[in-house]
Amino acid sequence: MNLRTCLRGVFGLSLLPLAAVAQTAPADQTLIERGEYLARAGDCLACHVVEGGRPYAGGLPIEMPFGTLYSTNITPDKETGIGNWSDDDFVKAMQQGVGPDGQHYYPAFPYTSFTLMPREDILAIKAYLFSLEPVRQQNPENDLRFPFDQRWGMALWNLLFLDDERFEPDPAQSEQWNRGRYLVEGPGHCAECHSPRNLFQARSGSKHLAGAEIQGWNAWNITADEEAGIGAWPDEALARYLRTGVAEGYGVAGGPMAEVVNHSLRHLTEADIDAMVVYLKTVEPQPADIGRPAPRELAAEVPAETAHPLGRKLFADACASCHQWDGSGRQTPYAALRGLRTVHDADGRNLLRILLDGGHLEGPDGHHLMPAFNRHFDDRELSDLGNFVLSHFGATEGRLTPEGVAERRKPGS
Amino acid sequence: MLTLSINGADLQVDVPEDMPLLWVLRDVLGLTGTKYGCGIAQCGACTVHLDGVAARACVLPVGSVGQRKVVTIEAMKEHPLGQRLQQAWLEDEVVQCGYCQPGQIMSAVALLAQNPAPDDQAIDLGMAGNLCRCCTYTRIRSAIKRVAQA
Repeated sequence: MNLRTCLRGVFGLSLLPLAAVAQTAPADQTLIERGEYLARAGDCLACHVVEGGRPYAGGLPIEMPFGTLYSTNITPDKETGIGNWSDDDFVKAMQQGVGPDGQHYYPAFPYTSFTLMPREDILAIKAYLFSLEPVRQQNPENDLRFPFDQRWGMALWNLLFLDDERFEPDPAQSEQWNRGRYLVEGPGHCAECHSPRNLFQARSGSKHLAGAEIQGWNAWNITADEEAGIGAWPDEALARYLRTGVAEGYGVAGGPMAEVVNHSLRHLTEADIDAMVVYLKTVEPQPADIGRPAPRELAAEVPAETAHPLGRKLFADACASCHQWDGSGRQTPYAALRGLRTVHDADGRNLLRILLDGGHLEGPDGHHLMPAFNRHFDDRELSDLGNFVLSHFGATEGRLTPEGVAERRKPGS
Repeated sequence: MLTLSINGADLQVDVPEDMPLLWVLRDVLGLTGTKYGCGIAQCGACTVHLDGVAARACVLPVGSVGQRKVVTIEAMKEHPLGQRLQQAWLEDEVVQCGYCQPGQIMSAVALLAQNPAPDDQAIDLGMAGNLCRCCTYTRIRSAIKRVAQA
C-alpha cells in the first residue's frame, strides 16, 4: 500500500483516492508513514540534526564559501519550529525556497531539487513532521558576509536558477526509470552535492552529476561514464553500494555519503534502489580526471620496496590490521581498498579527509568504524601515510605535503 | 540465532548481529583469553584468526563473520605453531604484565603461517599493529625468530 500510493503520487495517476483517505483517522497513519519514507528518501535528517541533538530540531552549521548557515528546527513546535505553518507555507518552502514570512532561503536547503516534488508528497512529509514531538529549540542566527546576508538577493537568484516546476515522467522511458529519476533528482537531491556549481553557487546544468568538491570531500562523478563515473559498475554493485554503503572493488561510502547511507538510502525499498540504479546508468556520461585504479593483484605481505618508508611503517602500525597489505579488507568488505577512486586520487582529497575524520557506516550487519587519526599523526606522518597508500593501492604518485595536510586539518577544508 | 565456527566447534549464539565478535567470545561464550584493549582496532589485544588470518574482534560485527572459522587463543594449546610459539615465549620470558600477549601470539602465529622465515623487517611490520605498553617488543621478536629458524 505504502509504495503503491507513493507511486501514484509521483505519476499523478490517481490522486483522488489518496485525498479521500487522507481525511480519515487510520489513513492518516498511512500518510504519516508515506511521509516518513519520503523524509528518509530526502535525507532531511542529515542536515536537520546535530550530533547528540534531537532529530529534526536543526542547528547544524553548514560552512559556505560566504559564511555559515544553520539548519532550522522543523519539528512542530509553534514558537521555534514549524508548528504554525499551513500546508501552503510548507509547499512554498519546499518548491520555491520561500518561508511563511516571505524571506528567501539559501540553496543549501535543496529546494532547487525538492521543487520537483508534487504537493501530495510534500504534504505527506509535513504530516510526518507534524506527527513528531515538538522540540523547543531556537534557531541560531546565520553568519553571512555582506552582500550574501541580504536575503532579497535570493529572489533574483531564483529568477535565474530556480525552475519552479514539478517532475514530469518521460513517457518514452519505463516506469522504473521514471521512478529512479524522480528519486535521484527530486527528494534524493543527489545533484546538490554531485554536480559542480558555478560562480553564483548554482548547479551546472551542462555537467550534471559530473562530480564536485563539497565540505572538503570529492562528491564523485556519478554519471554513466565508464572511466570516471559509475558506468562500468555492475547494476548489482551499484545497488549494493547505495543500500549498504559498500561495493567491494568499486566504492565505500565515507564522509557526507556515509551519512546519506546511514540516514536515507539504507531505509529505501529494494525496488526504489533498483530504480535509482536504472536511472543513474543512463545519465549522460561526463569525463573526469580521476577514475578507479586498474585492477591488480597485490601480495598479502609487506612490500619490500617503497618510496614512503614512514608511510609504510604507519600503515603497519595503524592500518594493516584491518585493511591488509593486499587491500582486501581483513575484517569485512568495508575495509577493502582495492579499486576505490579514493586511493587513486593523487591529491588524496577523500583519503586525507577520512584519515583525519574517520568514518561510521551502519551496515545491514552492524556498525562499521574507521578511527579518526586527526590527533594521533602529525602533518608529515599523514602526508607520507597518504602517499604510501596512493602509491601502493592506487598506483598513483601522491601529491600530499605536510603543508597541505596542515591546511586540510580545518573541518570542511 | 547465529551459528559460528569457534575453535573447531559449531556453536549457536542468540545475539544481535551488530554485536562485536569480541563481546560474543568473552561475555556470551566465556572465552576470556581474548582481551579488550582500545575498541577501535588499534592495539591488537583482541586479535583472533578468521580462516587463519589475524583479525580484530573488537570492531567486527558478529553478523559479518558468516561461515569463516574463528580461532582464539584458547585453541593455541593444540595448534602446532601456537604450541611452539608459546614454548618460545616461555624460554625468552617475553611476558611482563601479559595483557596484550594473547593478541601478540595470535598475530605471531598468523605471521609465521603466512611467512615461515620472516626477516627482522617483516616481523616488525607484521607485528606492528599489536601494542605492548610494557615494551616487550624485542623479546617478542626474539621468540618469533626462535620458532622461525627452528
